[in-house]
Amino acid sequence: MFASLAVFMSVDLLLQLAMPGLPGLMTQLGLAALLSAFALLLITGLAVIIKRIIASCFDYFSARQRLQRRLWFIQAQQDRLKRLFYFRTLQINYFNEMKRKRLLIANNRQHIHSLSKAIDKDLQSIKQQLSKATYQQLLRENVQYRKQQDVESLLRLQQKLATIVSK
Amino acid sequence: MTTLKNLVFNLLKLFHSVIDENLQWQTANQDQQVKLKHARVLAAKMLEAELKRRSVQLEHEITLLRTKNDTELAMFKTRCKQDIRDYKQYLASLDQLKRSIQESYKHMPEAVAFTIHHHAKHLLNQMWEAKDVEQKMHYEIQLIEFMTTVNEEARLHPEGATAEKLPERTLSLIQHK
Repeated sequence: MFASLAVFMSVDLLLQLAMPGLPGLMTQLGLAALLSAFALLLITGLAVIIKRIIASCFDYFSARQRLQRRLWFIQAQQDRLKRLFYFRTLQINYFNEMKRKRLLIANNRQHIHSLSKAIDKDLQSIKQQLSKATYQQLLRENVQYRKQQDVESLLRLQQKLATIVSK
Repeated sequence: MTTLKNLVFNLLKLFHSVIDENLQWQTANQDQQVKLKHARVLAAKMLEAELKRRSVQLEHEITLLRTKNDTELAMFKTRCKQDIRDYKQYLASLDQLKRSIQESYKHMPEAVAFTIHHHAKHLLNQMWEAKDVEQKMHYEIQLIEFMTTVNEEARLHPEGATAEKLPERTLSLIQHK
């Protein structure tokens, strides 16, 4: 590139000295030198890039890198196992809790049913003291609360009946 | 023209001198360079060996971890099953408690028996759901006290030891919860 620059400068000088013929030849020479320089630069660049790519490939498949990747894989596997254990524990806990809740609900239902049955019995025994509408209303309430599994309301209803009986 | 020639010669000289110096430096440091190369290769080998060793060690640890996890999970499952069985037994004994108090206090309204049973179940659930051991113990003691009181009253009433129509001590425990 510097050579072509020198050639171009000499062409300029020759043009100023008004020498015929030589400047044209020198320009051709300068152009050829410049193009060659660019071609050389390009080839060198390409060669460097290809060399780098090949070196990277060799490095990627080198024993050290392979071992390093294997180690990372094993570490990831270990982490996965730890997470799996944690989530399995959570799952077991969840199902266990569900089972317990089901037992509790079944037991609650059974006792609410017996309370409702007792209320029913009480209602039957005081049927004469009540008007038909009140009796029907209380009966409906009993069924409704039993269906809703509403303990508080059932207890209140029972208390209401007890008050009616005591009157 | 002579100046240009001199300049070119000087440049060539400089170029040669740089090459010379480079060669001299290479010769002078050849041993060290060889040593460095050796050290580099050695370090790479050592690193490979270390990586291999760690991989093997980790694989071994994974095998151990897997076994440990499997065992712990199996134990945990068994414990959970046992927990459920215990809970079932507790519920059954609370049902039995209700039956016995009803049998002792024949005229006791169903609502009172239900309340007693409901309270006992509430204590049981509090005990079961407590997060720390101290709280669990606290609720367990409360439950045991409650059950003992109910049982005692259920036992004493038919013997005529108490004249009340209702298990008053039990009911006062519920009121003062």
